[in-house]
Amino acid sequence: MASNKKYWRNVEELKADSSLVERLSQKEFLEEIPTDTFLGDKDNLSSSSTTRRDFLKYVGFTTAVASLAACQGPVLKSIPYVVKPDNIIPGVANFYASTMADGTDFAHILVKVREGRPIKIEPNKMAGNWGSTSARVQASILSLYDNNRLRGPLAETKETDWSSLDKTLIESLNTLKANNEKIVVLTGTTASPTSNKIIANFAQTFGNVQHIVYDALSESAALDAFFEMYGERALPNYKFENAELIVSIGADFLGDWQGGQYAASYTKGRVPVNGKMSKHIQIESNLSLTGANADKRIPVKPSEQVFALINLYNAITGSNFASNPTPADATIKIAANQLKKAGSKGVVLCGIQNKDAQILTNALNEALLSEVYDFNSPRFIKAGNDEAIKNLVAEMTAGKVGALLIYNTNPSFTLPNASAFNEALKKLKLSVCFSMTDDETAQNSKYVATIPHYLESWGDTQFQAGNFGLMQPTINPLFNTRQFEESLLIWMGKNTTFYQALRENWTTSILGTGTWNQALHDGVFKGSNSLDLTYNMMEVASSAAALLNQTKSADFELNLYTKISMGDGKQANNPWLQELPDPITRTSWDNYITISATDAKKLGLENFNVSNGALNGSKVNLKVGDAVLENVPVYIQPGQANGSIGLALGYGRTAGMQTEMMTGVNAFALMQDLNPVQTVSIEKAAGIHEFACVQLQHTIMGRDEIIKETTLDDFINKPKKEWNETPEFSLNHEEVSAERVDLWEKFDDTVGHHFNLSIDLATCTGCAACVVACHAENNVPVVGKHEIRVSRDMHWLRIDRYYTSDMTNEKAKEAGIFGTGEMFNTMTIPSENPQVAFQPVMCQHCNHAPCETVCPVAATSHGRQGQNHMAYNRCIGTRYCANNCPYKVRRFNWFKYANNNEFDFNMNNDLGKMVLNPDVVVRSRGVMEKCSMCLQKTQLSILTAKSEGRPVKDEEFQTACSSACPTGSMVFGDINDKQSEVAKLTEDVRAFHLLAEVGTKPNVMYHLKVRNTEES
Amino acid sequence: MSSTTIQAIFDDDDVLLSAVKELRTANYHIEEVFTPFPVHGLEKAVGIEGTRIAITSFIYGLIGLTFAIWLMDYTMITDWPQNIGGKPSFSFAENMPAFVPIMFELTVFFAAHLMVITFYMRSKLWPYKKAENPDPRTTDDHFMIEVSTANDVKSLEDLLKKSGAKEIKTKA
Amino acid sequence: MSHYEAPIREPLIFGDKSYHDISVDVAAPVEGKANKLWWIAFSIALTAFLLGIGAICYTIGVGIGVWGLNNRINWAWDITNFVWWVGIGHAGTLISAVLLLFRQKWRMGINRSAEAMTIFAVFQAGLFPIIHMGRVWNAFYVLPLPNALGSLWVNFNSPLLWDVFAISTYLSVSLVFWYTGLLPDFAMLRDRAVKPFQKKIYGLLSFGWSGRLKDWQRFEEVSLVLAGLATPLVLSVHTIVSMDFATSIIPGWHSTIFPPYFVAGAIFSGFAMVQTLLIIMRKVSHLEAYITKIHIENMNKVIIVTGGIVSVAYMTEFFVGWYSGSSYEDYTYLSVGAATGPYWWAFWSLITCNFIFPLTLWFKKARTSLIWSFILSIIINIGMWFERFDIIVIDLSRGHLPSSWTMFSPTFVDVSIFIGTIGFFFVLFLLYARTFPVIAQAELKSILKSSGENYKNLRKENHE
Repeated sequence: MASNKKYWRNVEELKADSSLVERLSQKEFLEEIPTDTFLGDKDNLSSSSTTRRDFLKYVGFTTAVASLAACQGPVLKSIPYVVKPDNIIPGVANFYASTMADGTDFAHILVKVREGRPIKIEPNKMAGNWGSTSARVQASILSLYDNNRLRGPLAETKETDWSSLDKTLIESLNTLKANNEKIVVLTGTTASPTSNKIIANFAQTFGNVQHIVYDALSESAALDAFFEMYGERALPNYKFENAELIVSIGADFLGDWQGGQYAASYTKGRVPVNGKMSKHIQIESNLSLTGANADKRIPVKPSEQVFALINLYNAITGSNFASNPTPADATIKIAANQLKKAGSKGVVLCGIQNKDAQILTNALNEALLSEVYDFNSPRFIKAGNDEAIKNLVAEMTAGKVGALLIYNTNPSFTLPNASAFNEALKKLKLSVCFSMTDDETAQNSKYVATIPHYLESWGDTQFQAGNFGLMQPTINPLFNTRQFEESLLIWMGKNTTFYQALRENWTTSILGTGTWNQALHDGVFKGSNSLDLTYNMMEVASSAAALLNQTKSADFELNLYTKISMGDGKQANNPWLQELPDPITRTSWDNYITISATDAKKLGLENFNVSNGALNGSKVNLKVGDAVLENVPVYIQPGQANGSIGLALGYGRTAGMQTEMMTGVNAFALMQDLNPVQTVSIEKAAGIHEFACVQLQHTIMGRDEIIKETTLDDFINKPKKEWNETPEFSLNHEEVSAERVDLWEKFDDTVGHHFNLSIDLATCTGCAACVVACHAENNVPVVGKHEIRVSRDMHWLRIDRYYTSDMTNEKAKEAGIFGTGEMFNTMTIPSENPQVAFQPVMCQHCNHAPCETVCPVAATSHGRQGQNHMAYNRCIGTRYCANNCPYKVRRFNWFKYANNNEFDFNMNNDLGKMVLNPDVVVRSRGVMEKCSMCLQKTQLSILTAKSEGRPVKDEEFQTACSSACPTGSMVFGDINDKQSEVAKLTEDVRAFHLLAEVGTKPNVMYHLKVRNTEES
Repeated sequence: MSSTTIQAIFDDDDVLLSAVKELRTANYHIEEVFTPFPVHGLEKAVGIEGTRIAITSFIYGLIGLTFAIWLMDYTMITDWPQNIGGKPSFSFAENMPAFVPIMFELTVFFAAHLMVITFYMRSKLWPYKKAENPDPRTTDDHFMIEVSTANDVKSLEDLLKKSGAKEIKTKA
Repeated sequence: MSHYEAPIREPLIFGDKSYHDISVDVAAPVEGKANKLWWIAFSIALTAFLLGIGAICYTIGVGIGVWGLNNRINWAWDITNFVWWVGIGHAGTLISAVLLLFRQKWRMGINRSAEAMTIFAVFQAGLFPIIHMGRVWNAFYVLPLPNALGSLWVNFNSPLLWDVFAISTYLSVSLVFWYTGLLPDFAMLRDRAVKPFQKKIYGLLSFGWSGRLKDWQRFEEVSLVLAGLATPLVLSVHTIVSMDFATSIIPGWHSTIFPPYFVAGAIFSGFAMVQTLLIIMRKVSHLEAYITKIHIENMNKVIIVTGGIVSVAYMTEFFVGWYSGSSYEDYTYLSVGAATGPYWWAFWSLITCNFIFPLTLWFKKARTSLIWSFILSIIINIGMWFERFDIIVIDLSRGHLPSSWTMFSPTFVDVSIFIGTIGFFFVLFLLYARTFPVIAQAELKSILKSSGENYKNLRKENHE
């Protein structure tokens, strides 16, 4: 019931009949506000009875209202869950197992999903080697939020809807079927049992259908060779963990050779374990990532690679096939002996895109009975058939093809004779392109059946015999898209969804005893390896002969290669990959020819630094056959074989791209006859190219303690002091290690967690997966070519690359020029064929951090868990910390990098922003930022453990880089937990701190590189 | 009985000085002297005691030093100690070397400014303060003595004339 | 006689000057009209100043990125200019304080302008640490206030914070020192003034100074104590500025001799700047009688000494770097690497301007030549700018890890801001020269009889 309390307003109310009370009860204001008189015309306004107080009331009121109306805050739409979805807790990430298979990159992954948004790719540790994520796999998450994706299907470049598209297509397909015209389904390698099955069904339904698989980065030669020798069109698998000696002839197996994914097994043998480690000899023309990691590397021209292969075969098998001498012969002799010694522990790899060369190689491995060479569980991640695609183009131009369905490949860009292909494509009765973006092929096809990103799709894979994987959607399709298989099913008139087909196919033919849910949960499934292949002995003499007369050497041989970042250009619109510096050249946003210093001098080509340090270079015109590529930048590359040049594929894309990303030149145009090796003629072009190179000094300048390395026998035979000397200071008149010297009483860091990161330089291949992982995890902005060019890169984690120089302190002393300008200037020049070393450098989280002491506002200080914190909102941007950092790992926000049209990358559009990690703040202009040791991740692990009332498990502590590292070179953990892996690593003999003599006491440690240089 | 004040103007500092001495020997009380620049030995001759302003400055300096020490001990050690580059923020003594510059600066700051303020206050110098020199020439090249006497003004004037006064007038 | 001074000492005031003449001469520029030359100079300075303001607004509006800096070289022209101006700002207080303690009478002719120069220079210096911040709008974080974002205080370990205190103390103390000295002279102008406006203004400025005996007594005491305080202060300021570098760990910065060497360098450049200004001013304002060759020569002597100290410091740095045998010292701003590397031009400009040219001052002819003193003073200031540029940019461009080596080149914004500060400096100085008593006339009068030419001659005659 309502309360009947009486509130007193006025003492007058005591009186029974007070006129005042009466008035109050009726009127709110005690006196009339003379509005009308006030607002009347001038003369009666002047004569109005408005008091000053009234006037002020109005003024006050109006100003208040006006100002209130003026200050309207920005509107942020945030919609709460009406019905909360199951197992989504706001602020807590879900992980879904899935698989990436875009025709170039193949990996089993975990997808981190926050509030329904996939924001990060993590490796799927259950999947072993196949579970490791490369830079491109890590970056693929951003391609999901690519602002240039097609929003829906297109018919003759006009937007349309699926029903009408289906109607027209089914009609035309049936007419084609009726008059039995040829329908070609052109796909990249899907490595998907179900998809292939559906395509087969499609073929049955429409009769005259041919399924052609075409890979831009083709391994056709190897596939054909393997087919001929084993009767299965697949690629052999290599178990590098069993290898004692690896001889690779032009095989960039740490890059994209035969689909890659070998880093993990390769590095298993690269750490000396009780005195033994594998030895790796690389014979190649471009300085590849693999070559950079080799113990011995011999630069030879592509043609000489062929001779080298034959010579090696002769040397091992004792046969004497005709061949030519090469610069590598001496090494080949030794290698041959070592291979014989190693026997089944040795392996020979070959990157020559020639069937006979591949036959020879396989034969060699068979001859060695190599345990590394595993032909019985082959890989299916490359299926492209060069002959088929060549015929297709011919047939199309001859008008023998009625319809072309193109999926997961971009021939209009990647074919050397793309123009001919496009012409023919335009002429076809029916051409359908299944594409995510409006790429070159899509623009040349009649219909574009827009497909979703793989993170929005169902699918399955078989990378390797017995290795199956599932792909599941982690977000509702962002746009009006439909999967390729879905479309095929609909056009076949099947009324099953692709999901049903997939599940049905698995339950019947793959799962066997396993369950679907388990497989979906794991993302991988160990199926039966039905294959039982046997080597049908064959006569290789003919191949050797054929090989020899197929190869012709030339003054300049072009060797097309792929970069870690760009691959075949599928993800060219991905700013993370564009900005990722190439591990070897440290240059981003470009492709360029790599040429040896000698040849460059001959042709009058030069690289030079301008006043702000940035790198400039000459340009050349390349001519292969009648294909010409103009104004190609020149990068002088140490280790490049004289007489050869390299040029990266995948650049020069223009269709369906953002202007900023249209970088470089299209090298596919030069890949005549789909052969990556070409005879080329070079002529200097006018003009200067501006590079975006983040490392301008390539040699170590005699500061060898920065990257320590040693040889295997020194490591075994000599005392630690010889090859891993820790700097010593004098304390109380006795020499003690720098770690023990301390100016002050130490803070007690034995309580709670104390984080350390360990980086093993022996197993770091420089693959840069960590760089992109860090980029994704920490919302690092993309700053574009110019900023990179002027050394304003924002990467929290960089991978320094050093070359050896012919000039060393010792040599200088002998020459008597020690300490002179001559010495310094020659020291800056790398050797012709240098040894290469990689060193990932991020904030070292020094316990005696120089950056902390100098910050006037205490915006950066030390955490109890050993991290060096940054309080962004306290930072005023004096940049003193960055100056005083000996490792130069601090990054300053020179401009506003988010929501700024000057930096029109993913942080400047709503779609791109969906990738941002909500746990990490986006930094404002004018503040310093740097590696935080993934504070947000460690805190999460600690809090989860706490809420579950248990100690944190060692493996729970991860940083983005350590978890992304495919080779396990980065180990992160708590050194106060004595059982943890990292705690053990601190005791390791190979451990050292970067610039230990400066006395910063870092929490990041390195383990020195060991090179297996033993000859004989 | 009322005493009269005589204003005598001189145009040379040495003459002024001797005049002052004579007046003093004749036991006249010198009220005030206005000079365009500091005449050395004059205050001794007039016989005013030395200023103690330097001592105040010393005290202000001590205050400044104490404040500096308190400030840094409170902010860096007591209120919000942080691990800054491993510096021993748990102990003022150990962290002190880093604080010396500020201690010095604040000492000087306090000593200098407070002293000058004191000087302005004691000598009544501040904006909009009216100048009190009776004759504008005393900031240029003339010197003025104000002598007060209770009786025979005449003899005083003679004395002043004798000692070289250029002008003599009685203060209104 | 109390005014006795050894006759061998050359007179500091020429001509047959009386007390009144001094007043007239000092008041002349204030009471007279500005000539064409002054207006030209002023308008040039003003344009430069406005250019600077524009550049600063642009920087604050868009971001520090409009400068030529990068993630390895985070300071360049900004801090170079800062240290350069602070250095220049040392002469004034040094002259008026140290020379006062040493009872150097010749200071009186020049100390007023020197101090003015100091204060204006420190204004410019103070500008840079503020505008070089990425977030200027939060500059107040450097004050020891409990942070609005939680009880977070400033970091008293940071040399940058020491700077904040050192510079502000130095500026404010110099200011009061200067102003206290100005009071009697303002009073003189006030009492001479005929225009009511001038009378009002100078009456206001003179704080009602009346020249009472007691006031003079306190005045002299205060001057003496301030001098005593200012002397260590002068030395402390550049010591602390040098600690910005000395306490860091960058090769070439981390050097124990920086404090004395920086102080010497500061006085070196400071006196050079005083020369530049006074040689012009004595002509323009007709003060030849008061700012004489002796003054110029004496200052040149100071320049020889400080220049010598600086040169020795260079050699020490060079030797120690080389002798350490550490490869990290190979490219410090004084090293073979620097001399032969990409920044050879900066290295050699430093050596020529600061080491070779000043050597000419050992010859009395050069020392007493106004023209040469003037040219040299400018050369020295260029050299001192390069010293700071070398220390900052060369050292940062060749850090510990070769992977991070890069170079710096300024943008038009960097240049405009520097030019702007020079403009601002001259705007202030020109205004000062027209409205302030540019010579401490009260003090000067007190030495007229001892050091005036006419009186010296008089004494000579009396002797014979």
